[in-house]
Amino acid sequence: MKRTVFAAPYAVWMAIFIFAPMLLIGYYAFTDGGDFTLANMRAGLDAMYMQVLIRSIWLAFRATLLCLLLGYPIAYLLSRMKHGTATLLSVFFVVPMWMNFLLRTYAWQVLLDSGGILNSLLISLNMPGQQLLYTEAAVLLGMVYNFLPFMILPVYTVLTKMDASHIEAARDLGANGMQTFFRVVLPLSMPGVISGVTMVFIPAITTFAISRLLGGGMFMLYGDLMENQFLLLNDWGSGSALSFILLILVIISMAVMRRAERQAGEEGAKLW
Amino acid sequence: MSDKHLIELFDVSKEYDGDAALKNIDLYVNHGEFLTLLGPSGCGKTTMLRIIAGFVMPSSGRVLMEGRDVAHIPPYKRKVNTVFQKYALFPHLNVFDNVAFGLKIKKLPKAEIERRVNTLLELVNLKGYGKRWVEQLSGGQQQRVAIARALVNEPEVLLLDEPLGALDLQLRKGMQVELKRMQQRLGITFIYVTHDQEEALTMSDTIVVLREGVIQQIGAPQDIYNEPRNAFVADFIGESNILPGMMACDYRVRFNGREYPCVDAGFGEEQPVEVVVRPEDVDILPLAQVGGNGMRGVVKSTLFMGVHYEIQVVSDGYTWMVHTTDAVDVGWQVGMQILPDAIHIMRPRP
Amino acid sequence: MVKRVRNFFKGTYLGLMLLFLYAPIAVLIVYSFNASKTMGNWTGFSLIWYRALFGDAMIMRALGVTLSVAALSAVIATIMGTFAAIGMHSMKKGTRLVIENISQLPVVNPDLVTGISLMMIFAFIGLKDGYTRLLLAHITFNIPYVIFSVAPKLRQSSNELYEAALDLGCTPLEALIKVVIPDIMPGIVSGFILAFTLSLDDFVVSYFSTQGVENLSIYIYSMARRGINPKINALSTLMFVAVVTLLLIVNIKSIREERAADTQRRKVAKKTA
Repeated sequence: MKRTVFAAPYAVWMAIFIFAPMLLIGYYAFTDGGDFTLANMRAGLDAMYMQVLIRSIWLAFRATLLCLLLGYPIAYLLSRMKHGTATLLSVFFVVPMWMNFLLRTYAWQVLLDSGGILNSLLISLNMPGQQLLYTEAAVLLGMVYNFLPFMILPVYTVLTKMDASHIEAARDLGANGMQTFFRVVLPLSMPGVISGVTMVFIPAITTFAISRLLGGGMFMLYGDLMENQFLLLNDWGSGSALSFILLILVIISMAVMRRAERQAGEEGAKLW
Repeated sequence: MSDKHLIELFDVSKEYDGDAALKNIDLYVNHGEFLTLLGPSGCGKTTMLRIIAGFVMPSSGRVLMEGRDVAHIPPYKRKVNTVFQKYALFPHLNVFDNVAFGLKIKKLPKAEIERRVNTLLELVNLKGYGKRWVEQLSGGQQQRVAIARALVNEPEVLLLDEPLGALDLQLRKGMQVELKRMQQRLGITFIYVTHDQEEALTMSDTIVVLREGVIQQIGAPQDIYNEPRNAFVADFIGESNILPGMMACDYRVRFNGREYPCVDAGFGEEQPVEVVVRPEDVDILPLAQVGGNGMRGVVKSTLFMGVHYEIQVVSDGYTWMVHTTDAVDVGWQVGMQILPDAIHIMRPRP
Repeated sequence: MVKRVRNFFKGTYLGLMLLFLYAPIAVLIVYSFNASKTMGNWTGFSLIWYRALFGDAMIMRALGVTLSVAALSAVIATIMGTFAAIGMHSMKKGTRLVIENISQLPVVNPDLVTGISLMMIFAFIGLKDGYTRLLLAHITFNIPYVIFSVAPKLRQSSNELYEAALDLGCTPLEALIKVVIPDIMPGIVSGFILAFTLSLDDFVVSYFSTQGVENLSIYIYSMARRGINPKINALSTLMFVAVVTLLLIVNIKSIREERAADTQRRKVAKKTA
């Protein structure tokens, strides 16, 4: 029982660097010069800020959906392959994730730039050059590019762990390929889908550098807003209020995902 | 008295969060004995083993080893070694280093370690396997490494927690014989936990039958089989026909609508009892040999088991389980006979 | 026939997706060897950007910061995280759940909030040194990942192994060092690698929590904001090659081991059959 002592250094660390900062956010969000106030929160819920928040959520939602639509087939196809090939290919799909996230984003900046590769290609085909960089589509593209592996991995993991006998049983019971997929494979892979969605959606809401590099600062997202409050304006009060709102949002979406996961789990269990 | 026994448990109880796992256990184990703790899962047999090994502290009661209270002796200082259920071989060590582990902890000289490990590997028929990795061994081989790893420390007592549970039937039979031979040769006390009554009957000197944390019966295999003390033991050790009955008087018992002579006495007159009859003790007779008053029934099912048939016979509303070497067919009328010494009388379960 | 068509589509889809993932990287690599500064036109092979990269003292300093912070934070986080996991493993369920949930915060929290909250606490306690801030921040977000890689191994390693060591005469501490830690070593190693790469990759937390010190991410960000810079192309190429080499080494090793184990198993199976 003495072994619990081993966790003590980490417990202290946690208290200082995880727990206390959270309290600080709460403190600054609800005080002004030491006095309790709701002014920061009221400012945080201002229409202009809310607009930014809604834009961020909408963008994150579309990015997540795209990641799911593109990523699920990849994961599925990989999981149906021979073990060796699948392992190798899955490594290929994950390698870009190991590159610095800013470099990955920067690569698209290079591709999309007005004097960049894609535009040169268009012009050489005698087509008019397009404004590709600094558009909302570019930001969306950057998000999908960065977050796609986070969708593929959990789905792939769940699919490969799935017992092949489920599929064989479905086949045996007369289901064709499509029916097997929609009635057995998809429901059973829901836990993977949900964790993929969580891993994409939450970072996507709070993404920060992508909008600056690919959107050129023209599409202010919630992350940029918070940077402004803290680093430019040095306004800890309203910045903390924004963080607080963001945290509540994260907690809500986590709760929704957990619930969906539990339901998916139950559905999976029903299949047994 | 107590210096004669190797291990003694006095009034040992163990509770987990208010649930009693063991209740007032009194037990002693002799030097060189092969003692088996037998019972269904959840009966407390593994808890008892872990108390002896020192992994679990009893909630109350005393445990003595060679007359000394071991309450405050941690497992690594007890002269007891364990063969774990799933072997618990160290995956990062090869066979030799697994077996040598305990000796290295004791910092024995290298040459002696080598000698003793090799002797043990030879004993368990794994000579030349020292360099192998544990995962490369089959289940039976892993089992033997686990035994060697425990025995190499020359423990006073070897504790075995369902050690053959993971092996297939044929391998299990072979290992039973091997284990028993090893125990007799080394003269070490074995305390063996199993839920397999057949295993217990083949290997043990003494069997302790446990149920819900309470000892039901302690005795030699023959005693437990032939003279089960209650219906639970009778039912658990081999198959049995168990019927409610009434003791008419000494040596006379009534059940299933008839009165039979028996060899038991002392239950009083007109007292409710439970009657146990082993399937092999019911004799099947041709109808012609049964008197007008004899038992008869209709064969409900038959199952060929190799040496014998397992048949079910319905007689006066009770379905008898019978083992016989006579071939009969479903639907036949047959006669039955139960000799007095085949009828075991016990007090009814509370 | 149908099957072949289907396979063709499957292959095409995977190929397109790989193209999508790799094309930007490939372009970066190709143009890092371009003599011209503008990306659109290729004016010939050249290593000037590599020379410029290594001549850039700022970038080299940033690289040094990134590597040393990654190494230091990964080592410290691995040690602290492993012991924390071991400690938490033997806790009562209630206490353990509380600690587990709090330590999940940096994982669940958006990086942005983690970075900002760390910035606030550093300012609050008056820690000014940018490098120390960076290091503390990276340790903080690394530890949970170490715990998450070690804890499942601990759960797998079953108490039986630990008990077997005690049974064979180890004191609890000896059992920990000789049996438990070797048994969970794969988890510790993968925790370390994860921590190291997370630290290399991090931008958001670093950007907010530190001041006055630039690691590579921060430096790239400040350069990329001002537009394309071929020096970054060269840097990306080098980093990509390094990552791929590292991954190949790790993967080939594990594939080989797997294959060796596989043949062994088959041999054993044949023998026992």
